[in-house]
Amino acid sequence: MSEAILAAQNLSLSFGGVHAVRDVNFEVREGEVFSIIGPNGAGKTSIFNLISRLYDCDSGDIRFRGASIMGLPPHRIAGLGIARTFQNTELFEHETVLKNMLIGRHVHRATNLLGEILFLPRVRRQELEFRKVVEDVIDLLDLQTYRNKVIGSLPYGVRKMVEVARALCIQPQLILLDEPSSGLNPEETEDVSFWIEDINQEYGATVIMVEHDMNLVSRASNRVLAIADGEVLAVGTPDEIQTHPEVLRAYLGD
Amino acid sequence: MRFVFKTNYRQDVDLFEHNGQRFWYGLLMLALLVAPLFLGTFYLGELALVLIYAIAGIGLMLLVGYTGLVSLGHAAFLAIGAYTHAWLLTRGWPFPLSLLAASLFSAAIGAIVGLPAMRMTGIYLAIATLAFAIIVEQVIAHWETITGGYRGMPVPKAEFAGLDLSGPAAFFYLCLLITVVCLLGALNLLRSPTGRAMAGIRDSEISAQSMGIDLARTKSIAFAVSAGFTGLAGGLFAHKLGYLAPDAFTLLTSIQLLLMVVVGGLGSMHGVFYGAIFIGLLPQGIAMMRDSLPSAVGQLPGLEPGLFGLILVLFLIYEPLGIYGRWRKIRQFFEEFPLYRKATHKRQKQYLRTERVR
Repeated sequence: MSEAILAAQNLSLSFGGVHAVRDVNFEVREGEVFSIIGPNGAGKTSIFNLISRLYDCDSGDIRFRGASIMGLPPHRIAGLGIARTFQNTELFEHETVLKNMLIGRHVHRATNLLGEILFLPRVRRQELEFRKVVEDVIDLLDLQTYRNKVIGSLPYGVRKMVEVARALCIQPQLILLDEPSSGLNPEETEDVSFWIEDINQEYGATVIMVEHDMNLVSRASNRVLAIADGEVLAVGTPDEIQTHPEVLRAYLGD
Repeated sequence: MRFVFKTNYRQDVDLFEHNGQRFWYGLLMLALLVAPLFLGTFYLGELALVLIYAIAGIGLMLLVGYTGLVSLGHAAFLAIGAYTHAWLLTRGWPFPLSLLAASLFSAAIGAIVGLPAMRMTGIYLAIATLAFAIIVEQVIAHWETITGGYRGMPVPKAEFAGLDLSGPAAFFYLCLLITVVCLLGALNLLRSPTGRAMAGIRDSEISAQSMGIDLARTKSIAFAVSAGFTGLAGGLFAHKLGYLAPDAFTLLTSIQLLLMVVVGGLGSMHGVFYGAIFIGLLPQGIAMMRDSLPSAVGQLPGLEPGLFGLILVLFLIYEPLGIYGRWRKIRQFFEEFPLYRKATHKRQKQYLRTERVR
């Protein structure tokens, strides 16, 4: 059994009287695809926002490769190798696909302001390196047609892909996908399971995804965490979860 | 219509997309270089003024058009640059050093003003920068030992290494040189990580953060760079004015600068130049118009600021992308002539965005 890349310990978060996340514990293993499922308002996205440090938790700890990330500001998370996408896409609307993806390389820059204004040879070299990494990701996700298109002009399905592409440009060890199939048609959802496999196998990134589509979850993931009302119901393989009495009760009622 | 077939990543990094652009910009440069041979003193002076506006505009465009932070106080940076430069010159500093110091000092003040920008956006930031501009105006008016207060302050002649830079042609070339250098600097910044980070902040702060962009730092840099360019323009502006007084750097000047980038076209460096030409020539146009209007209207004291405001509002409503946006549409119409669809530039359907995390 491989070791944990990310571990949440006794994680709690509340907004006023609403307990979004209650005493949640889970471990994500190196190299797996880990899904988080649960009814609406269960606290799935809240967990993501806790990992990206957009929210401060009330108590508990998140450890990435053994070290706590709770003291870090949000912009330091990407530098650790944790990338994420958003539920309804948060792209840089007025920029091209290429520029969006190049922003994904931001954490790998090694140039300073003055050098950039003068566009020293180092900066040029770095740009060309960035461009090459971006092209590899474009190849992986088949985005060639859209390279120079402005995000504002793209259909929703493509935007979702671009968001994943941008996250991959960080070359993350861990990638958080927030509902990758929401708003996609069945065909596109089918594709999602293939590229999740690609990301996992070819890029060697551990994947955590929040997802509603149980078909996709059972096809793509190794293990599943089911939560409801901010509490963990069960962790296990997709088959175990689908037959777990607690999970069934949360979704279907008594 | 031209299709650029890219075969090398360098083409994505280069400033010019194809040789056609190199040719036309080269031609424009040549035309500007020979302009003093054909233009009289007055027009050369106007052209120099347009270039000075353009330098300030490059700075403001980086802030407003690329980082998405609105400033209503850029006249203050223009003033800081102008007064610093004039003061250092009277102290006997050499011209280039003094101009550089004025720009750097302005940038330093900009970085400090940028600090509150980390918490403020939109209208609140506009008000904060407005307050800053008023403070600077008051400081200049009352710090008489340095600035001469309302009596004003003469600006020493521009000269360097025995070269007189104050003649119309020499001053024009000086402005042209600095404009080109500033433009290249800004374009370089925009094709580098920091420039992209600025655009990221403009479009989505939350995802910029998740991409590892330090919001506070980047906004502060944007303010500093913007103020630096504007301060540089201020130094040249001082020579253009010849005599500095606080009433040259009022709220109206700030609005003029903002008008320039909005009317020119937010988010493009072309827009800066269209905007600079526009606001460089508009006061002349208004002056000419005054004479032909009935005196009740023509002599109204608030005519100029009123018209500026009106034009700004009309552009915001009817052509948010400014003159450059309009120009692109016209060009596309001709390029695609029989096939151009009316809806090409209709705003696309907006998709739901993630609810902002508070």
